[in-house]
Amino acid sequence: MSDTIIIGMSGGVDSAVAASVLVENGYNVEAIFMKNWDDEDEEFCTAAQDYKDALQVCETLDIPLRSIDLTDEYWDKVFKIFLEECEIGRTPNPDIICNKEIKFRAFLDYSLELGAKKIATGHYAQIETHDNIFQLLRGKDSNKDQSYFLYRLDQYQVSKSIFPIGDLNKEYVRKKANDLGFLNHNKKDSTGICFIGERNYRNFLKKYFDTQPGDIVSDKGDVIGQHEGLMYYTYGQRQGLGIGGGFGNQEAPWYVSDKIISENRLTVVQGHEHPALYHSFLTASNINWISGSPPTNNNNMTAKIRYRSKDTPCIITKQSNNILVKFTTPQFAVAPGQSIVFYNNDICIGGGIIESRSN
Amino acid sequence: MIYFDHSATTPIHPKVVEKIDYINREHYANPSSIYTQGRKAKSLIEKARNQVADAIGAKAEQIFFTSGGTEANNQVLWTKAEDKKKHIIVSSIEHPAILKVLKKIEPYGVTTSLLPVNTDGTVEIDSVTNLIHEDTGLISIMLANNEVGTIQPVQEIVKITRSLNIPFHTDAVQALGKIPVDVNSLGVEYLSLSAHKFYGPKGIGALFVKSKKMVKSLIVGGEQEYGIRGGTENIAGIVGMGLAAELATQSQKNCHTQLKDLEKYFLKKLTSNFPDAKRNGSPDNGLPGLISISFPGNKSDIIMAKLDRKNIAVSNGSACNTGNVKPSAVLKEMGIKDDLNLSTVRISFGQDNNKKEIDLLISALKEII
Repeated sequence: MSDTIIIGMSGGVDSAVAASVLVENGYNVEAIFMKNWDDEDEEFCTAAQDYKDALQVCETLDIPLRSIDLTDEYWDKVFKIFLEECEIGRTPNPDIICNKEIKFRAFLDYSLELGAKKIATGHYAQIETHDNIFQLLRGKDSNKDQSYFLYRLDQYQVSKSIFPIGDLNKEYVRKKANDLGFLNHNKKDSTGICFIGERNYRNFLKKYFDTQPGDIVSDKGDVIGQHEGLMYYTYGQRQGLGIGGGFGNQEAPWYVSDKIISENRLTVVQGHEHPALYHSFLTASNINWISGSPPTNNNNMTAKIRYRSKDTPCIITKQSNNILVKFTTPQFAVAPGQSIVFYNNDICIGGGIIESRSN
Repeated sequence: MIYFDHSATTPIHPKVVEKIDYINREHYANPSSIYTQGRKAKSLIEKARNQVADAIGAKAEQIFFTSGGTEANNQVLWTKAEDKKKHIIVSSIEHPAILKVLKKIEPYGVTTSLLPVNTDGTVEIDSVTNLIHEDTGLISIMLANNEVGTIQPVQEIVKITRSLNIPFHTDAVQALGKIPVDVNSLGVEYLSLSAHKFYGPKGIGALFVKSKKMVKSLIVGGEQEYGIRGGTENIAGIVGMGLAAELATQSQKNCHTQLKDLEKYFLKKLTSNFPDAKRNGSPDNGLPGLISISFPGNKSDIIMAKLDRKNIAVSNGSACNTGNVKPSAVLKEMGIKDDLNLSTVRISFGQDNNKKEIDLLISALKEII
């Protein structure tokens, strides 16, 4: 009998087509629908709709669909950390922790317990083995590449995973879904943080924090507005500051350049090219190297400091537990709490959490 | 498929399937219509009403058809939301079709007291009197629990509350066809039934009300069901329910014996193969053929998935619309800790099961556990 692969089925088009690829490749495929979030606000909770879509796909492929409730694990391992990071003014990326702790840990463990040889997901990323090292590669569709979100995985996690659509592009995936009769072939891509979904980020956070309004201060030291609480803003943010251009320069909009937590102050500067928005150095902590060991040199080293930012050349030096990263060109809006992810050409080699930035 | 989930729903009795098919083909006329075919449809409904009434010792005019047990429960509770006396006492292990409705009617001034259960899932009778006060307008306690099968001492509680003139409702959805259900000996004012739990079709149920004036309509529209439930009648469902109720009561004694027999056979094999397995509920006072067992150190969803691969259907707790399984609230109320709770599966036998199937279940469990 062929190997059993359990696919994490979200109800979206990517995992649906990933399942179909596995079936075509002759695996014994089973699907599991993960529920990670309990929302009392049903308007925003799409779980029931998503499950229905997943079921239609599984019935079409004639594979079983089961469910797993990981809401407690998600709350403890992902959401709590998200709140802690927000509270200290950082910009966390919960989807990265979700991959490490939920999809490629809790879900992986559960699937192996159910007798799976490996798990699969609909991520746009690829895996190759060289000299017994499992390498994580960018997805072939450069516009959809999701390796950024997977950089915290270790060798064990990668070795137990399959990304069946990593070598496909999104357009083809949607077409294939349509050809196979999947009703979700046109479903909108999920955007943003999964538990917030389409709703207003600020309103969502308000449920969990007492807001501490404070001053918005220009780089010249003038108080030019009020913020609603530092956690609602991120570095480089332009919209939603409640201050127009027009303070001196009519044309240039304001950007968040810094958050001074101790003084509950938001610093803003005018114009996208303002030097206070750019940094040439950063330190990062909680470093993970997917291969298990750090790169031996900086040849071809590039980094992304947020999902969808362009790869930029950099040089890494080690500083005790952290690393120091030097960019050849200064980077816009380096945000503590976000992840910096390193690549060697198409190989995602690892990354860490941004702690501080400097020039 | 080997089907051991009769407490979730039952297959439809072949005679009932035949009847439903016949009604759908031949009697599509609207029962409110005055021509021959309409009158015929109406009389079929009234015959079914008699059958359901007979099954529980009621009069036909005390039976109102609903879309199922959930609607019947809703109708009783929403009636109370409009009453003067708005305090309701229920057991802590009621179905969500009671507990969630109580939450929903809170804004109408309804208050709720929960009657606790002991470790075998039986309500603590002695606590009832402490919970009753002058505003108490209803006591609702299920006749038998759906997850562990414990039969509740409804008759004894009614004896206590009778003198206080407090109306009593019992959700008898799990009971009909397995144990005797008689509204007179129970002494209740309201009783809910669901056809698909006793080999009838889904989407049809009934509410027994001692006197029509004690209930208000929930679904408002036409004057169907004597003004108690609007909407053109589900004739095939109603006729199917009538026949299923008749068959279920006719065969109740035999069914009890058969299910008890299967239960004993299973339990004997279970204890010899799985000495650690722990049965939940009341062994001497439970629904026949409903067995809730915990397998310490195992996860029920893993057990279920592996049984599903072998095409054996059992249940754990109550699944929601995304198929997820949470620790059972009923088991929690019985004082069962979360890890044991999550290792629990419910096996519920039915008339169509046999010992050979149980042998297959046991050998499957031996592979899994």
